[in-house]
Amino acid sequence: MAVSPDDGSAIDLRNPLLAAVLGWLVPGLGHLYQGRVFKGRLFLVTILGTFLLGWWIGAGRVVFHEWRPADKRLAFIGQAGIGLAAIPAFIQSRLLNGPARQTLGCSQWFAPPVRNGQYVSARYAARLVAAEPAIVADDFFDRPPLKQFRGDELAIWQYQLGRAFDIGTLYTMLAGMLNILVVFDAWAGPMGAAESKKKQSDDADTEAAPAG
Amino acid sequence: MTDLVVPCLAFVPQMASLMEAVPGVFFGLPLMALASFVFAATHHEDDEAIGMATLHWTVWMGGVLGLVLAIVLLLGWL
Repeated sequence: MAVSPDDGSAIDLRNPLLAAVLGWLVPGLGHLYQGRVFKGRLFLVTILGTFLLGWWIGAGRVVFHEWRPADKRLAFIGQAGIGLAAIPAFIQSRLLNGPARQTLGCSQWFAPPVRNGQYVSARYAARLVAAEPAIVADDFFDRPPLKQFRGDELAIWQYQLGRAFDIGTLYTMLAGMLNILVVFDAWAGPMGAAESKKKQSDDADTEAAPAG
Repeated sequence: MTDLVVPCLAFVPQMASLMEAVPGVFFGLPLMALASFVFAATHHEDDEAIGMATLHWTVWMGGVLGLVLAIVLLLGWL
């Protein structure tokens, strides 16, 4: 149970942990689960809307996980505030850098860019050549059974998208970071409640203190 | 599954040139409004209180960021 800072009414948080997890997966879902429908819908529309807008502006390429010593995608820390994006991006990254050397179904959804010297499966290389006009078969060294890329797919994306890449990254990152506040709200109730309670406590202490 | 590139603003030439023409600061305005709203909504439960707090935070954030922008522009101009 939490207390509304506006009218002092009780807020039933149901299972706060479950609400927080749901809220992390999809913005606002935790609030909908708790029956806080107005806020849930607002979070769903605004945060998920901003995330999807950023994803669209960035042509679906701005949300990916990459964590190598020289290439850390720090924006993903913010984007990971929305589980719906974080989980597939993490899985795709693990698969591409794992023994299979290709993403799930060789799809480019949430896939990280292939970097210079990186090994990929022959199937994934063929898929890249087919999907990306700027990449040709000669961009891969033949290293049976794998292929080694000799280019930088991230540079290609940034060249093609220009500022849209940065704007898309910013929108998705901020949406994810703001969702952390929403998750906290689903878990512990409105933050204003704690602040108003502390203020009341401070006021009571001031009144109780002896004059002079 | 088909290989996919989500059609985006930058891939439509007219939209891309429009996007380049829009000053970058305008892309920050929706984010400022969003941040204000989320901050307000995570501190209140009542609809009206959320609305008022959103307005309050938008004005504050706009004021502070506007001031910073003005200082940066002034420094650039000097």
